[in-house]
Amino acid sequence: MTINSTSLTVIPPVAGPTPELVLRRTRILRLPRSPKVIAGLVILVLFGLLAIIGRWIAPYSPNATDQQHWVQHVLVPGTGAATGFPASYYPLPLPPSAAHWLGTTVFAQDVWSQLLAATQATVVVGLLAAAIATVLSVLFGVTAGYLGGGADEGLSLIANVFLAIPGLPLLIVLADYVPSAGSSVVLVASIIAVTTWAYTSRTLRAQTLSLRNRDFVEASRVMGEGRLRIILVEVLPNLVPIVAASFLFTALSAIGAYVAIAFLGLAGSPTSSPPGLWNWGEMLREGFANNAVRGGWWWWWAPPGLCIALLGTGLALLNFGIDEFINPRLRTAGLSRKTARKAGIGTRPKLGMTPVAHHPPVAVASVRTVAEASRLRDTAEPVLEIRGLSVDYGYDEEAVHAVVDCDLVLRRGQVLGLAGESGSGKTTLALAAIRLLRAPALISAGQVLFHSKPISGDGPAGTIDMLSATDDQLRAIRWSEIAVVLQSSLNALNPVITIGAQFDDLLRVHRPALAESARWARSGALLDMVGMNADRLRSYPHELSGGMRQRAMIAMAIALEPQVMILDEPTTALDVVTQREILQELIGLRDRIGFATLFITHDLSLLVELADEIAVMYAGRLMERAPATSLFHAPRLPYTYALLHCFPPMHGPRVPMEGLKGSPPDMRDLPPGCAFHPRCQWALPRCRQEVPRLAPLNGSPREVACWLHREGTTVPPELAQPEPASMRPRRPETVGQAGGT
Amino acid sequence: MNLESAPTPTSVAPVRAVLEGRGLTKSFWVKQGRSLLARKTRVHAVEDVSVRLDAGRVTALVGESGAGKTTVARLLAKIIRADAGELFLDGRPAPPGRPRSYAAQVQMVFQDPFASLNPVHRVGHNLVRPLQIHHIADGDIDATVADLLRRVALKPPDTFIGKFPHELSGGQRQRVAIARGLAVRPRVLIADEPVSMLDVSIRLGVLNLLADLRDREKLAILYVTHDIASARYLADTIVVMYAGQLVEAAPSVSLTDRPAHPYTQLLLAAAPDPDRVEAPALAGRGAPPSLLAPPSGCRFHPRCPYVMEICKSQVPPRVAVAADHSAACWLHVDPNNRRITVNGSVAPARDSSDQRNQER
Repeated sequence: MTINSTSLTVIPPVAGPTPELVLRRTRILRLPRSPKVIAGLVILVLFGLLAIIGRWIAPYSPNATDQQHWVQHVLVPGTGAATGFPASYYPLPLPPSAAHWLGTTVFAQDVWSQLLAATQATVVVGLLAAAIATVLSVLFGVTAGYLGGGADEGLSLIANVFLAIPGLPLLIVLADYVPSAGSSVVLVASIIAVTTWAYTSRTLRAQTLSLRNRDFVEASRVMGEGRLRIILVEVLPNLVPIVAASFLFTALSAIGAYVAIAFLGLAGSPTSSPPGLWNWGEMLREGFANNAVRGGWWWWWAPPGLCIALLGTGLALLNFGIDEFINPRLRTAGLSRKTARKAGIGTRPKLGMTPVAHHPPVAVASVRTVAEASRLRDTAEPVLEIRGLSVDYGYDEEAVHAVVDCDLVLRRGQVLGLAGESGSGKTTLALAAIRLLRAPALISAGQVLFHSKPISGDGPAGTIDMLSATDDQLRAIRWSEIAVVLQSSLNALNPVITIGAQFDDLLRVHRPALAESARWARSGALLDMVGMNADRLRSYPHELSGGMRQRAMIAMAIALEPQVMILDEPTTALDVVTQREILQELIGLRDRIGFATLFITHDLSLLVELADEIAVMYAGRLMERAPATSLFHAPRLPYTYALLHCFPPMHGPRVPMEGLKGSPPDMRDLPPGCAFHPRCQWALPRCRQEVPRLAPLNGSPREVACWLHREGTTVPPELAQPEPASMRPRRPETVGQAGGT
Repeated sequence: MNLESAPTPTSVAPVRAVLEGRGLTKSFWVKQGRSLLARKTRVHAVEDVSVRLDAGRVTALVGESGAGKTTVARLLAKIIRADAGELFLDGRPAPPGRPRSYAAQVQMVFQDPFASLNPVHRVGHNLVRPLQIHHIADGDIDATVADLLRRVALKPPDTFIGKFPHELSGGQRQRVAIARGLAVRPRVLIADEPVSMLDVSIRLGVLNLLADLRDREKLAILYVTHDIASARYLADTIVVMYAGQLVEAAPSVSLTDRPAHPYTQLLLAAAPDPDRVEAPALAGRGAPPSLLAPPSGCRFHPRCPYVMEICKSQVPPRVAVAADHSAACWLHVDPNNRRITVNGSVAPARDSSDQRNQER
């Protein structure tokens, strides 16, 4: 298996070079610079500042009463002279004024001073509790996860016990049991930490368990690295984002818990002995106990309430940022949609519908007329015509041009091989042609025509323009006329229902005329065609081996007798014997049903055996196209030549082979001119400047995009070998030994 | 690099076995079902496998997935402990556990270079640590690191030391992983599918690097692979495994040209080969057996086109079919009903389609 080309969809790099010095830290936790994160950071810094400088900028002591102004009282309704009850008075707090920015409480205490004192206690308790809980959870979780076995069971048991105890009741009991706790930040924080660490510990243990068996940890062990160093240096840095996220989460819940117990009056009153600490919960409690809400004295209860909400929001926003860092996919969807809108491209985020640029398709110079194309090759009827297709990932300046100006004609009954390294755009080309890629993939130019002539069923006939087809049109074509089997298809079977039920679903929808028994019989026959016993219809996917599942997928793909099969590395994940068996079945089926096959693989040696015609892609462009035998015996493109010399032969003397110099191209930063020139041993000055276009070689039905084959250059002898004697593409009946069926 | 000079007969100079595993056996226990009381069943991953790694030689371990190749590699690297069997380092029993002295002799390169380098550490860290752990380099660590990078053809070294793995291509990462393995100056390098995750165009580069290390530094290399063509290209000796057992071992060219075991023949027939004129006939279709309950006798017998009664009941012994060429197959043993053909290979006797129909 090689790395899939879909890795291209990873977010484009952050603009601007990162200075070497800060790289190390930013690599571990490089938060995306989104408004969310910035807002979160601003809020957090603001509260941090208030907590630190609060005691110096507070105008009064939080407990001090303003005797000078504390004179106003209000008669309690239903008391006083007229009622016969002795008059009783509500104390009246002062509204905000110059002397008291946030007014006073009923006891004439300054709310602003109280708020500053409360902010300090609340923030410190929250952060301290989070710190203690994080240390505990890292100690327990990472140790348990890394050591495993008995240590894991013991430590996990402790964590589970704490997890099972409901947090808040335990907190209330503990706070009640230690009455002096309210006066000590450390004690309160410890109590809260003890009740919150276990959850994070579970998460970290699970993560460590998966890291422990990762190759790089194993490599350190093989190296003879000590256990402690492995945990601290190899494992822990990989957990930083999760630890950071859980720290913020714990801080948030610790603040919540502190406010809650204070609101319940369990954190000790600041005016009792020993005095508790002022905090937001305590402020709210006093306000509520003294009718602040009913009295409309908003300046008393609103500030602490807002502080709780604001700090909570800040922590949550930061947490979102870390989530996006851990899982970048959360970010790409939104970002690209925004840029798409900016670029004026309407992209409804829709599954299985590659967006097409709505500006008029660029007239591509190399689009040949149908007449010209058919003159080039033998006259088999085309079924899928791709002309000048270009596909981008992303929009505008951040776009990666994954496929550029590709022409490909698939003919009935033909096996067309599409070869190239990973990232060369071969999968993108095929999937874009049937519009199966999701945004941010965008078809920026070209035309795809499907000449439909259904083999069976009531699919649409006639020529369909795939790029302007509607959802309904595409739905009618897909699977019934154009089937796709991917490398990962073997995982596409529904795990909870039997193979038979999945066949039944498919046939019921697309062949409504068939009775149930006929559907079952047809399903059995289909399995038989791919070399599986019909009994397997009763099996669940997990009961089948990988090869069997891929066969079942192929059987499903041919169930509706499609005209085109797109096979994207269908056997790469399988063993050689299974691969060979499945390929033989496929060729036999092709002969029987007559579908055209687009076979995508990186394994050129396999294609040479299998395909009638081979197209070679490099860096998003088609570079050479020729009948399989001529491509193998007489390659004209330096890249094809080099690629063919990457497969050691199975016969003859062993000779040293060179392979290909250099690295595969970076699609985000392609060299100018021919993208292959840095690795080409025959590169001309012209290759560094001009992009060669695919053009026919004189007198042969093959095309090559290489300056070496243009007038005025001498072709190196390696690229000028004579065409093999039989230039005809192998006919279907001679290609496949139908595997005994 | 000289590929042709290496596989010469052993009589020229006695080849030293640096690392040898004898009778290695390993089972894993898996839970059947999800309930608490679910029974644990045994997976016979590797049974009675003996491998020998010689100085200046590449031994390839070939087989399908699930054949136990990686398990053997990990047993030899002492990542896991064998249930039975012994390891010999320079002819002496290897020390128990995984001491650093063993790590200094035997190093491993993993399959996936995207997973085997810690994403948070620079290339430099990966190379400096082994030097520090094993007290190599005598003070001049920078020069040693640069030298390591040069040995794996990452030039100029200065540009690579400060890079993070994600800044390197797949081939470059695998080179770094190999350099890390070389840092402790081991005498044995165990390479577990070192190129299967790499692009076709850069595989040969890594294989040539391994060949170069064998020739210049006399490393004993175990090359684990499923790709028999690359094994033929790189290795001096090929060992074929099937369902946890060793089925055939021979010098690479003689194994690929004259396979003696029916499974090896199947494997060779299935391998892609552009030179082939006609599609190959596969004798022995089907899939490897479940290792929970492996077949009795020869584990290949349910698929074998030449199966005999004795194959179903008795484990075949390893017999020499030619000089340096051994196969575990009854076809090469019993003189009463089967003759051994001259070159050691078995003439195909039956039509493969029969076999396939039976299987259905």
